[in-house]
Amino acid sequence: MGRVQIGEFEELVLLVVAILNDNAYGISVMEEIQSQTGRKINISAVHSALDRLETKSFLKSEVGGATAERGGRRKRFFKITVAGQEALNAIREQRNKLHDQIPSLGLKYVSI
Amino acid sequence: MSPFDHEPPQWAIKFLKLYCKPRALEIIEGDAYELFYKRIEAEGLKPARRKFSWDVLRFFRLRYIKGLEDINSLNNIAMLKNYFKISIRSLLRQKFYSAINISGLAIGLAACLLITMYIGHELSYDNFHQDVDRVYRVANGQAGAWTPARLGAQMKTDFPEVEAVARLNGPFDQTFKIGDQVFKEARGFSADSTINQIFDIQFIAGNPKTALNRPNSVVLTQSLADKLFGYQDALGQIIKADGQNIQVTGVVADPPKNTHFQYNFINSYPHEEWITIGNWTGNGFFTYAKLAKGASPEQIHEKMPAFIREHLAPMIIKYSGHDSFDAFLADGGKKTFSLIPMQKLHLHYSHMALGSSGSIDNVYIFSAVAFFILLIACINFMNLSTARSAMRSKEVGMRKVLGSLKGQLVGQFLVESITVCFLSSILALGIASLALEGFNQLANRNFNVEDIFNTATLLKLFGIMLLVGLLAGSYPAFVLSAFKPITALKGESQATGKGSGFLRKGLVAFQFAISILLIVSTVVVYTQLNFIKNQDLGFNQEQVLLVKNINRLAENGTSFLNKIDRIPSVESRALSNQYLSGGVSDWGYQTVEDNPRNNSFINLFATADFLKTMDIELIEGRGFNKDLVSDTANILINEKTKKWLGGDVLGKVLSRGDGEDYTIIGVVKDFNHASLRRDIDPFIFRLMGEDGKTEGDWYAANYLSLKVTGDYQNTVEQVRQAWAETITDEPFEYVFLDESFNSLYAEEERFGQLFTASSGLAIVIACLGLFALAAFTLQRRYKEIAVRKVLGASVQSLTFMVIKSFTLLVLIGALIAIPVGYWLMKEWLASFAYQINLNNPLIWIVPILVVAAVAWLTVGYQSIRTATSNPVKALRSE
Repeated sequence: MGRVQIGEFEELVLLVVAILNDNAYGISVMEEIQSQTGRKINISAVHSALDRLETKSFLKSEVGGATAERGGRRKRFFKITVAGQEALNAIREQRNKLHDQIPSLGLKYVSI
Repeated sequence: MSPFDHEPPQWAIKFLKLYCKPRALEIIEGDAYELFYKRIEAEGLKPARRKFSWDVLRFFRLRYIKGLEDINSLNNIAMLKNYFKISIRSLLRQKFYSAINISGLAIGLAACLLITMYIGHELSYDNFHQDVDRVYRVANGQAGAWTPARLGAQMKTDFPEVEAVARLNGPFDQTFKIGDQVFKEARGFSADSTINQIFDIQFIAGNPKTALNRPNSVVLTQSLADKLFGYQDALGQIIKADGQNIQVTGVVADPPKNTHFQYNFINSYPHEEWITIGNWTGNGFFTYAKLAKGASPEQIHEKMPAFIREHLAPMIIKYSGHDSFDAFLADGGKKTFSLIPMQKLHLHYSHMALGSSGSIDNVYIFSAVAFFILLIACINFMNLSTARSAMRSKEVGMRKVLGSLKGQLVGQFLVESITVCFLSSILALGIASLALEGFNQLANRNFNVEDIFNTATLLKLFGIMLLVGLLAGSYPAFVLSAFKPITALKGESQATGKGSGFLRKGLVAFQFAISILLIVSTVVVYTQLNFIKNQDLGFNQEQVLLVKNINRLAENGTSFLNKIDRIPSVESRALSNQYLSGGVSDWGYQTVEDNPRNNSFINLFATADFLKTMDIELIEGRGFNKDLVSDTANILINEKTKKWLGGDVLGKVLSRGDGEDYTIIGVVKDFNHASLRRDIDPFIFRLMGEDGKTEGDWYAANYLSLKVTGDYQNTVEQVRQAWAETITDEPFEYVFLDESFNSLYAEEERFGQLFTASSGLAIVIACLGLFALAAFTLQRRYKEIAVRKVLGASVQSLTFMVIKSFTLLVLIGALIAIPVGYWLMKEWLASFAYQINLNNPLIWIVPILVVAAVAWLTVGYQSIRTATSNPVKALRSE
């Protein structure tokens, strides 16, 4: 697998979609991010992040679930793809690798 | 109440539906609605509505905005792309025809572009002034330029509708002296301090309100100030102007190109009674008036009769000799002032426009030329497109078989023609930039390349391009799209029908007609110009050197004249107050009879040797004698004046009124003193003393005429030296009289150039078209010609056969062009008192022969090539 081109906010969205599993659409993703991180975000930002992730084929989507709350309009549900999961893993591995290389010097002082 | 009963703001939904891609619309709308309902419960209706709108606005991103493919159906876009591709391919396949087509059209468009730019410029004159629609020029009578000094001030006092007035004089030349440097500057004016209420004059330094308040003040334009003071601060500087000390009280921005008031510097008026209060007699000023908001010129015009009666009646009665003003009116006497909108001055009243040399006729003529040239280019385009139709017939057949509708085919060909127009436009921009210098000369304007590439001009070009593309493209489009698919696929040509051939020939004939018309105009204009230049003026204008500004020599005049007298090549010399060809003013005289008759005569003051210097022939009586002081009360007249007086004139008396009587002592032969547009005027010579003084000790010797024999150039040099020795702060200015006369016809000269250029263009464009058309026709008749040759036709007869058909078209063109040309040229010549004879057959035959010869050369070359080629090649090519 090559380098993963993914931004910080996209990574966050991708993670949340993975967490929400079967119920990931625009609003649920936004609310989850708000409740988990406390970040105030606009729905349009979530939408474009989702769209970008889909064109990068880290997400796939299907349409369905019209409800009264939406005036009978359908939702677009997102699901993480295998490539998406691999991307998350790759990012995590890379981060861990970097974290592990931090010299323990600092920690010593902290521990005093 | 359930939250679902509420609705989000309608405008936001409409906006969303307007911009949003249909693919994403439902999802976005759904999310927005869901959030909206949730927020009603959590935060209340108002914030929810506000946040809904905000969300919608936030979704306005490139990602979600409709693209081209969302507006039309995808199919149309694809077809459009295909049309475009096919156009480019067919253009590339026939490079020769395409090049001719595009370049012909480009030349036409370039001419058109330059001319639209010119017309736009002409029509924009003075529009930029603030309140220009309220500014008027006060005309004496209906369109007299000069008005009395008192008029403006009195109008402002009497009419509440008049908001501001200003008087103006100029343009004139003035000499500035700074240190020991002397500058002769043109385009100077004198003006009232209120001038900046009438015109937008942008002050860079100095106070606009007070700059012209005091006498001996001058306002300079930035460029003149830079020139005089070498980019140093000019404000407050003292300069010597025509010998007087004046102060620079303001520096203003240069006036824009499109105003009739083109100043270099503006002087203040002296504070003397004739200026500050002013008289009703004498018309020495241009008056401008600005009306109050809502006032109309008609209101002023209505009040004018009462105004005239109140202020001007006494003066009128005194000069007309009537008992009362009513008697003057009853006698048909007229006196009025009228208001002319300032915007009209440049084009419609050029004699009042301070020398801005505009003319509505020029605008019309230029428009007509642009139209004709563009028309020829369009005809070319149509001809070539239809002529080539056979090449495309298979393509059209195939498209139809595959389901193309006629409308789609029309669309395809229109796209093609617009593509060609687009390419031509780009080329036209290049051609126009290259031709700009020449065009400036023709139009007597000063355009630069930026004027071509400004948005307004480009938009016009774009408009013309679309128009030409659609108009010229529509005929071929309809012809081509009407092909029947089966015959088209069989490869049979369909354009051989009588109808389209006839139209094509008609169009070519029409092109010839326009070319012939333009050439005829060129020939007539130049013949006329030549005619009036070589016309005997009644005196000898050759070898006469005219020195200007003699009055500036003041007391050194005599010593200068003495120096001139020592130059051996100067045969004779004469001083005068004005000069022939330079505009001589007319004065009123009346006869001394029981019933005095009035007339105005061209009146020139000159020293005794004037007749000798100018070689004017004396036919009766005697000339002036410089040693006879009493001769100042005598006059010489010309034959025209004699005719008006009637009978034996020697010894008769003409009077200026108040006992100012002059006795006629001689009659000279008639001569022209101005452009030959006017007939010979009645003329009166008055004697000027050898010291340059006339009646009442008035010094009027402004010009010195020298008759020169032998070496011209050397004499000029000697006179210049004499001048330089006499005066240092006035540059030596001179003109040759014959050149001065010729320069009277500068406008006609430009006219001739315009016709030469446009007829040249017309012929070039028409030839391009003809060349391609002939090539095409011959290609189609390749086999026919081969068969004829096999059957025994000679090269000569074959060539003749082809040329014959084109010659016929030239003749048809001539038949159209000659009557139109005759009428037009008759109209033009009507403005000349001396005209050439239009019935001279050469004027008409030469242009026809020129066009025919060009047509023969164009067609002949190709037909000979075809006729001499081996017939076997043509017949074998099945």
